Amino acid sequence: MNRKVIYSLVAVAFLFFVTSLIVFLGSQREPETGTQAAPVEAQAEQALPPDRISVKAFYFSERSPVMQPVALELANSAVRADLYRQFVDLLIQEQDNHLAPVPPGLRLRTLYYVETRKMLVLDFNDKLITQFPGGTTAELEFIYFIVDNICFNFDEVKMVKFLVAGNEYSTLGGHIDFENPFYPDFRYLRVD
Amino acid sequence: MTAAKRHRPALLACFFLLPLSLLSLSVSVRTADHPGYSRIVFEGSRGFQFRLQESGRRLEFHLDRRAEVSTGDLDRPRSSLIERVAHENGETGSVFSVTFNTDVKVKRHFVLERPFRVVFDLMPVPGPNQEPTPSAGPDPQEPDLPPADGPGPDAEEPRRPTKDRSKVIETICLDPGHGGSDLGAVGAGDLREKDITLTVAKRLKRIIESRLGLRVLMTREKDAEVSLNSRVSIANNQKADLFVSIHVNSSFRRGARGPETFFVSLKATDQAAYELAQKENESFEEIDRMAPTDDLKMILWNMAQTQYIRESSKLAEYIQNELNVLLNTINRGVKQAPFRVLMRAAMPAVLVEIAFVSNPSEATRLKSEAFLDAAAQSIYDGIAKFIFYQNSRYR
Repeated sequence: MNRKVIYSLVAVAFLFFVTSLIVFLGSQREPETGTQAAPVEAQAEQALPPDRISVKAFYFSERSPVMQPVALELANSAVRADLYRQFVDLLIQEQDNHLAPVPPGLRLRTLYYVETRKMLVLDFNDKLITQFPGGTTAELEFIYFIVDNICFNFDEVKMVKFLVAGNEYSTLGGHIDFENPFYPDFRYLRVD
Repeated sequence: MTAAKRHRPALLACFFLLPLSLLSLSVSVRTADHPGYSRIVFEGSRGFQFRLQESGRRLEFHLDRRAEVSTGDLDRPRSSLIERVAHENGETGSVFSVTFNTDVKVKRHFVLERPFRVVFDLMPVPGPNQEPTPSAGPDPQEPDLPPADGPGPDAEEPRRPTKDRSKVIETICLDPGHGGSDLGAVGAGDLREKDITLTVAKRLKRIIESRLGLRVLMTREKDAEVSLNSRVSIANNQKADLFVSIHVNSSFRRGARGPETFFVSLKATDQAAYELAQKENESFEEIDRMAPTDDLKMILWNMAQTQYIRESSKLAEYIQNELNVLLNTINRGVKQAPFRVLMRAAMPAVLVEIAFVSNPSEATRLKSEAFLDAAAQSIYDGIAKFIFYQNSRYR
């Protein structure tokens, strides 16, 4: 009798194991069938009309030295340079609620992407030098505001080089080397 | 035979006088300030017995024989604690009297050989209502080592030739940021960075010279425009052992506050230069192989600072800690950034941002003479601690 009970229990356990395995494997295959919910960001992108794309811009605030994310939209374009331009123009615009660390009157003259180095070159007008307030922290704020935002949103851009009125400048305000391109430093970003 | 007869008196004189000259004693006196203590050294041409007598502001150093005083600091003591040093020969011995401008106590003394030296380390005794000054008080970093373990700069002079002399700090280059038409950051009430940096640098120079007796260079001594390349060239050409660039900060955020001390980050430029070298020299295996080495970095003079990153980091840490105390700020640690003026410095180099001129409350403090004095003192304390750390590593 005892042996019979044991066999029964083993059989029940085996059936339970097989059932669990089937349920587990079934749940793993669900994404292939397209029934699982898409990520939130993908949903947002899908919700946009095809002529718009979503980007995440990061801004400083008076309270924090770390930039906070804000969702923005750009007009979609097959030409990547158009997207870069729109995004930089949007970043340096005067904002009511967000702190963009850029000198007044700053304007992007032109830009180009160097494919071999994965480097975006941004050429700003001379207000970047003439209106710059000075200070190491201000220089770092400007540089990484631009570089981090671009590199975060456009994966193909690995570094950013700055020109002012078509020329290289050794520094912005006497501190940080401004001739070499900058890699992003995402410690300035708060990525939720 | 005739010549020998002619020189006989001279030979006899040499025979008798030489032993006498070997028996005579010549003593030189050296004095100096070090972080946390002052030092006085009596160096003899040969050994002697001595006895010490202390009384408040006076210390008498009795020798068991007459002595001649040779070169040294007898006339012009280089320690801020010492007022004067006098010497007097008696019938059977001699005495050096050291007069101090404050009450002192002998922290320790020890004897060293080859050459024979008696070394005294002295500390001022604070009065009942007097706080010990940071320069005069004991250095918390300093271990109370027995003499044989290397009590300080003088103690191990004989070992110097076997040491890496480039690591011993003798010259400090101070770089007051901006100047001339380059105003630097400007705060409310026409508060200009270039003026503040020059004031603090001049005060810091005075403190270092008087307390440490080191040579101090300035990249500018007046309101003049000096290029960033020239600033670092001055330090490199004069073989400075430390480079301290003094600045005042500014931010787009008016709330930004607190001191910041930076040392150079070569990561971005290193990586960019290396990638560029790789792209441009892909077919030249030899150059590609050399690219990451220090030799090539030194050829690319932009990266001279590479060799000193660790020391620069330590120096920045010491200065930042002192400035945190001054401004009562939490320690945010030291930071790295690709500073133009630091990249080509062939020595430990830091950039100090004392406070934010863009912050209204810090701008008010930057207008105060007392605050600027305190800032200079804090930077000095950081430098002094670094020197002690550095000397203890390499001496």
